[in-house]
Amino acid sequence: MSGEKGRPAFRQFLLPAGLLLLWEAFPRLGWVDPVLLPPFSQVAGRLGSLAFSGTLWLHLGASLGRVFLGYVLAVGLALPLGFFLGLSERAELLFRPLVQALRPLAPPAWIPLAILWFGIGNAPAVFIIFVGTVSTLLAGTISAVRGVDRRLLQAALTLGASRHRAVLMVVLPAALPELLTLLRLGMGLAWMCVMAAEMAAVSRGLGFLILEARNTFSTDTVLAGMVVIGLLGWGLDGAWRLLEGRLLRWQVGRRAYEMLGSAGAFQGLSQRD
Amino acid sequence: MARKYGRFAKRLLFLVLGLLLIGCGPASPIQIGVRTANDHVPFYIADREGMYREAGLEVQVHLVPSNTEIIEALQRGDFQMGAVPVTTAIAAIDRGARLRIVAMTGRGSDGLLVRKEGGIARWEDLRGKRIATIKASILDVLLRQALELHGLDPERDVTLVYFQKLGDMVSALKTGQVEATSNTEPFMTDAVRQGWGSILGYYTEQWPDHPCCVVLAREDFLREHPREVEAILGVHVRAVERAWEDPAYAARVIVEYLQAFDPALVEASLAPEKMRLDYALSAGEILRMAQLMFRQGLLEHDPAGREFVDLGPLTRVLEGRR
Repeated sequence: MSGEKGRPAFRQFLLPAGLLLLWEAFPRLGWVDPVLLPPFSQVAGRLGSLAFSGTLWLHLGASLGRVFLGYVLAVGLALPLGFFLGLSERAELLFRPLVQALRPLAPPAWIPLAILWFGIGNAPAVFIIFVGTVSTLLAGTISAVRGVDRRLLQAALTLGASRHRAVLMVVLPAALPELLTLLRLGMGLAWMCVMAAEMAAVSRGLGFLILEARNTFSTDTVLAGMVVIGLLGWGLDGAWRLLEGRLLRWQVGRRAYEMLGSAGAFQGLSQRD
Repeated sequence: MARKYGRFAKRLLFLVLGLLLIGCGPASPIQIGVRTANDHVPFYIADREGMYREAGLEVQVHLVPSNTEIIEALQRGDFQMGAVPVTTAIAAIDRGARLRIVAMTGRGSDGLLVRKEGGIARWEDLRGKRIATIKASILDVLLRQALELHGLDPERDVTLVYFQKLGDMVSALKTGQVEATSNTEPFMTDAVRQGWGSILGYYTEQWPDHPCCVVLAREDFLREHPREVEAILGVHVRAVERAWEDPAYAARVIVEYLQAFDPALVEASLAPEKMRLDYALSAGEILRMAQLMFRQGLLEHDPAGREFVDLGPLTRVLEGRR
């Protein structure tokens, strides 16, 4: 039984392990230029030396702080505003051109303005992460709120709930599954903005480490930085999924109901009752 | 069935032979990756005037805005030759890129830009100030050397602020985010002409006629196509001389190729006291730059005894002209 349980967890490591083997073998066998792609063991060695010297932790701490701050600011603006715009069609029409115009702007495009507006240091980097994340979170929140069945809201209002309470007790829980997925993807997006953010006059951070290493053709350091960002992304995604599972525990029954209902089986059972 | 297999084997044989022949012949057309900068104007001139065609070469010159991308393309084999800052070339060779420096393109052109009203008149005034630079670039290497020569510790006496783009550093200086920027031409002359910038000094004051940008070739291209390399360097020498003869023309070509700045500004930035286009190269000056980079922790290996340069093709070109 435990073997059955352990198998899916083991399986998720199969593909990465296979890829690591290929990564090690290809440059060693001379099938790939080792200057362009050093073997995995060399990258792991570089990662080890960066960790041992303490350099990695300085860069990691700087990036984590910026990503966290930029992300929290983006969530802090996007969630309430998204709820408001999702509930008010008129306001959403007013904001739509702005939200849609900001979304396709790549984070590096903001660098000159970020430096002009916020000077040098952490502020422009945090701003770039914020601006690269906020419009997607906002558009997603609007869509999540719009996706809630309006009859639920109307029913709550009919039963005497205030609008504020109906939004809090009905719309929020109904939109929560989609919102949590959005927040998880938003965290990934914030990490994707790190490279651009750390092009903006900072002296620490994983993005800076990668860019600096690229300037000196230290491909193993570039890859080591990328591996750390990838591992962080994977870890944070796992943590988010755990949180999602806990917050949405109540949904298990609802999902079962929907599944059975769609198959018509639940209907039949309820009729027999 | 046997006939079908025979036909297939024959086609496969022709295909393999064809590929082998292509592999043995000259790379056609020869791809050259060149950075978008003043120093690389000889390549723009050669391309514009059809000098490669005249020399019997089929060459495509690619303008690339990033030094690292040129090296990566050279290493992949997308380019056979390229032109980049000397520090970029040395760092790439140090990390194992199979490339050799074969000629110079320009000297000087880098220095320190400050604000006119910023209260910085001497190098010593930089103590405690913020200086914008691009980490591990030639601007960074020469800035650190200049600071040390003026008795300033780059790590303790000033704050180095790292950027990725020249234009962003100029904006940061203009708006007061930093007090100085290690920069290059024509950005520095532009700031002076606009009335807000002042050039504290060029790095040629610390290292007269220092190398700035160089021509690189892939080792296998040098080995397998020596005649093409010599022909390209012959064109390069003539293009440098054309730029020496007529700086106004060189400035117009730069503006045409870069689609930026105005010809008067570029011509002013090509003045001999600011920069000098050149093709001549010595192994000693490249080694000196490599040793400077090694001392600054930018190279993995001690450059002593390492080969960064192949002087053979340029020497043969210059001897042939004599």
